[in-house]
Amino acid sequence: MTGAGAALKRWETLMFVLLVAIIALNSLDSRYFLSIGNFVNLFQLSIEKSIVALTMTLVIIGGEIDLSVASVMGLAACVAAWTFQHGAPMPLAVLLALAAGIVAGLNNAFWIAYVGLPSLAVTLAGLIGYRGVARIFLEDRAIGGFPEWFNQLGQQPIIGPLTASIVIFFILFVFFAVILHSSALGRMIYAIGSNVQAARYSGVRVGLIKTDLFVASAFVAALAGVLYAARLGSVRGDMAEGFELDIITAVLLGGVSIFGGKGNLAGVGLAILVILNLRNGMGLANITGNTQNYVIGGLLVFSVLAPNVWQDVRNTWRGREI
Amino acid sequence: MRKMMMSAAAFALLALAPQSGWTQVATVTPGKDVSMVLLPKFLGILPFDQAHKGAEEAAKELQNPAALQFLGPTPQNSVAGQIEIVTNATTQGVKAIMISNNSGDQIAPAAKVAQAKGVKVVTWDSPIPSAEGEDVFVAQVDFSEIGKVMADMALSILGPNGGKFAILSASPDASNQNAWIAAMKTALKDPKYAQLNLVDTVYGNDESEKSYTQAQALVDKYPDLRLIMAPTSVGIVAAAKALQDEKLCDKVKVSGLGLPSEMLAYTKNGCAPQFALWSFVDLGYLAYYTAYALATGAIKAEEGAKFKAGRMGDYAITKDPTRAKGLRVLMGPFTVYTKDNVEAAAK
Repeated sequence: MTGAGAALKRWETLMFVLLVAIIALNSLDSRYFLSIGNFVNLFQLSIEKSIVALTMTLVIIGGEIDLSVASVMGLAACVAAWTFQHGAPMPLAVLLALAAGIVAGLNNAFWIAYVGLPSLAVTLAGLIGYRGVARIFLEDRAIGGFPEWFNQLGQQPIIGPLTASIVIFFILFVFFAVILHSSALGRMIYAIGSNVQAARYSGVRVGLIKTDLFVASAFVAALAGVLYAARLGSVRGDMAEGFELDIITAVLLGGVSIFGGKGNLAGVGLAILVILNLRNGMGLANITGNTQNYVIGGLLVFSVLAPNVWQDVRNTWRGREI
Repeated sequence: MRKMMMSAAAFALLALAPQSGWTQVATVTPGKDVSMVLLPKFLGILPFDQAHKGAEEAAKELQNPAALQFLGPTPQNSVAGQIEIVTNATTQGVKAIMISNNSGDQIAPAAKVAQAKGVKVVTWDSPIPSAEGEDVFVAQVDFSEIGKVMADMALSILGPNGGKFAILSASPDASNQNAWIAAMKTALKDPKYAQLNLVDTVYGNDESEKSYTQAQALVDKYPDLRLIMAPTSVGIVAAAKALQDEKLCDKVKVSGLGLPSEMLAYTKNGCAPQFALWSFVDLGYLAYYTAYALATGAIKAEEGAKFKAGRMGDYAITKDPTRAKGLRVLMGPFTVYTKDNVEAAAK
């Protein structure tokens, strides 16, 4: 465990160095980079993905994956918009959207935790199915015209220069960090992710904890979907489509093992900062579209490759010493 | 073609005159340092590359020292990508953004923030439906105008003595074609088209083969037919091929709406001496002029403002009849292609 702990520390150090390098390059490259307004924008433009990345971290550490998050975001936004358009007051519409998220999460959890299907398959079905329901609600229309307070929730700062979404991100970051790193529940998530059989024999209620994970994931996704709707002020059926890959990218780049049991929230927080600053810097340098994707894809390959190569190098070295 | 556009612009000005009076036509001052972003729906699509070409042409003409940035999202990330580009452009303090919007009203909050920071937001090709966050929309065509354009092409091909002509359309329930045909019938009521005799309307369902046989059937049925008007890019090619195969091109001509690259051969050999389509090059050019004029303060985004857009002539900002709050600059009517300009456009 100490070896793994040290490795994680190294990973975070690497992320931190990368982050400092990116920030330095960005500041040199663009005189617009170092401003409070730009930093708020940089967070705000991807804040919904960042929020969902928090619960995704817990899910992946628990040895599972949730591919349905972006579709749940879209579903929640569509439920809110549709019920609002059909006469529900906005607060009720928001509650119904969050409830839709919980239902989606329970559905995922049922098939994974109690029927025992692999989460990859179940949430892939969710990715397609929840998106389908969202599109049935909205067809090819867009729904907008939400109350002003709702739009402002997504667009206006509430504390200093920070928007509600950013504040919610920081609150959830602390909340999930405490759960994962200082609670019995967190230790059980690591245990399940490392070795589910061992965890089960040690008396961990695996089914219940997996249910918690998938419901939390879908609920937070629904919340993020509502915040996204507030930010854009209008909802379409294709909302947030494809976001799941960006979210998983951030988690993996944060040093979380795709096989479960390893990683922490600080690493993911750093990875989010790395990606956001990189995207923003490239955006300000007028590099868009495919080039951005290429660079971030390359970074991910590097993130998966680097630890393994490092391990190999170290093993070889030690072999020589002995 | 320029004459047609001028007359359309003059027509627009006349329509405006009673409300706004004859305000000065603003001339933009070249050489001002105005950083601008041209934002297409996606990168890597031919019409947008053509619009980029037109915008670069305008940029060169106006000697803008700030390079035009042509930035776009990938199709997979089009909504979030456009919002990100608009936000970053605002941070960079650009003076104008030209958007072909693909996100409905979802771009509106980002566009409003841009406006609040003093960025001029011009949409082209596809506007912001609510018009929020948008200064003005540069519209490619007014669908009601096409009736007049088709009537003008028919008159120009048949000459003052006129003659019989027929319409080869897409499917009977195609709403855009039906609207265009209805507009053409309205236009034909003008006495100057009195000699044009519309004898039939047939439908080729936008299938090459069906359109081909329908064109053959038309010339069999009406021995003195002189023109087939096809307001569809499939029908026009099929009709031209049918007439060429029947060796009737000397007697019966083809016109309508088509793509220069597909019509090149038939326009060069005289089967289809004229056809029309809007030009994305011109659309990009006009969008650039509009944005430059707004950003340099030559005009304000309000109804009645007029400006000179280089080689394309004078334009005016009017209310957009298709959107409750929007303003538009109507490029229209169309580019009419003849043997003189089709080759360049087909490239």
